[in-house]
Amino acid sequence: MPLNIDWQQILLHLFNVALLFAILYFLLYKPVHKFMDERAEKYEKMKNDTENRLAEAEKTKAEYEKQLARANAEIDELKAKARSDMAKAADASRLNAENEAKNIISAARTGAESEKKKIIDEARGEIGDIIASAAQKLVSESTAAAYDEFLTAAEGSDTDE
Amino acid sequence: MSKKQKIRSGVLFILIVAALLAGIFLTGSKHGESESIREVMQDAVLHESAKINLFGLKEVNPAVISAFAVTGIFLVFALVVRIFVIPKFKEIPGKFQLLLEQGVGLFDSLAKSNSPHRNKFLGGYVFTAGAYIFVGTLFELFGVQAVTTSGASVSLPAPLADINGAIGMGVFSYLIIMSGAVSEHGIKGIGKALKDFSLPISMSFRLFGALLSGALVTELVYHYLSLSFVLPIFVGVMFTLLHALIQAYVLTMLTALFYGEMSEPAVKKTKKLKKKA
Repeated sequence: MPLNIDWQQILLHLFNVALLFAILYFLLYKPVHKFMDERAEKYEKMKNDTENRLAEAEKTKAEYEKQLARANAEIDELKAKARSDMAKAADASRLNAENEAKNIISAARTGAESEKKKIIDEARGEIGDIIASAAQKLVSESTAAAYDEFLTAAEGSDTDE
Repeated sequence: MSKKQKIRSGVLFILIVAALLAGIFLTGSKHGESESIREVMQDAVLHESAKINLFGLKEVNPAVISAFAVTGIFLVFALVVRIFVIPKFKEIPGKFQLLLEQGVGLFDSLAKSNSPHRNKFLGGYVFTAGAYIFVGTLFELFGVQAVTTSGASVSLPAPLADINGAIGMGVFSYLIIMSGAVSEHGIKGIGKALKDFSLPISMSFRLFGALLSGALVTELVYHYLSLSFVLPIFVGVMFTLLHALIQAYVLTMLTALFYGEMSEPAVKKTKKLKKKA
C-alpha cells in the first residue's frame, strides 16, 4: 500500500480510539458532566424557588397593601361617620340645652311675673294700709293739734285777761 | 546585585555562549550521522524501517504502541480520578476539579454551540478526541524508548504522526458524524453522510499532514548537530505544544460542526409552504 497504509494497523488504531472513547466517556466525561448538571440543576432550582418565593412575597405584600388601603378607607369612613354622629349628637344636645334654657327662662319669667304681681299686690295692699293709717294718723294728728291749738289758744286768752 | 557579582555573571554568560559556539562549529562535522536526512525524513513519513512487535502477534509501527501507551495513561488517570477524586467533588471546586470541569465544559459547549439538536454523545466524543490529540501529540516530547524488531532503540512518536493513526482517527470521527445523521434521519441519514464521503479522507490527511509537518521540522532540526543547541527547546517544545493545541481544536471543531449539520432536523414546513406558494 502507498504511504505504508496498513488496514490492520488502521483497525488497531480504530479499536484504540473506541476503547479510549469508552474509557474517557464513562470514567471521566459522564461523571464530571453529571456532577456539573446536578449542581447547575440545584442552583437553577434554588433560583426558581427564590423567584417563586419572591413572587409570593410580592403577592402577599400587594395583598397586604390592598388590605391596608381597604382598612384605611374603612377607618376614614368610620372617622367621618363618627364625626358626623358627633356633630349630630352635639347639635341635638345643644338644641336640648337651648330648649331647656328657654323653658327655664320662660319658667323663670313666669315665676318672676307672678312674684312681681304678688309683690305689687302686696305692696299695693301695704301702701293702702299705710295710706289709710297715714290718713288716719293725719286726721287724728290734725284733730289733736286743733284741740291742742285750741287749748293753747284758750289758755293764752285766759292769761291775757 | 553588587558590581563584583555582575562581573561574575557576565563572565559566566560569555563562557556559556563561547562553549555553545564552540560546540556548534567544532562538532558540526560528518561524524555521528549513520543515515542520510532523506532516510530520516522517509522513515518519519512512512515508518517503514522501524517496526515493533505487538505482543508477538504482528509487527507494527511505533505509533500503534504510542497509541496504546496513551490509552493506558488515560485509563490509569481516569480510574484514579473516578475512584479518588470525583466522589470528593465539592460545589465550590478546587484547582484540579476546576481543571476537569473546564475541560468537560469546554468540549460540552463546543458540542452544544455547533450541534444544538443532539450534543450529549458528541460532547463526550469531542472531549475524547481533543484529549487524545493533545496528549498524544505531547507524548512524543517525553521520548519514551521502545525496542524495534531489529534490536534498535526508537523514540515513540505521536500516535497521529503515523498515517494509519490519522486515518483511524479520521474514520472514527466520520463514523461518529454518521451516527448523528442516522440517529436523526434513520437509514436516510447514511445516504446524507455518504454524500460527504471526502470528509474522512480530508480529516485524516489534514491531521496527518499537520502533525507530520511538525515532526519533519523537528526531525530536521534534531538531525543536524549544529542546530541541536538551544533551538530544539523552541522547535521541539513550542511546535509540539502549538500542534497539540491547534490540531485538537481543529479536529474537534470540524467533527462538532459536521455532526451538527448531519443531525439537523429536516425542515418540512418550509417545503409545504413553497409548494403552496
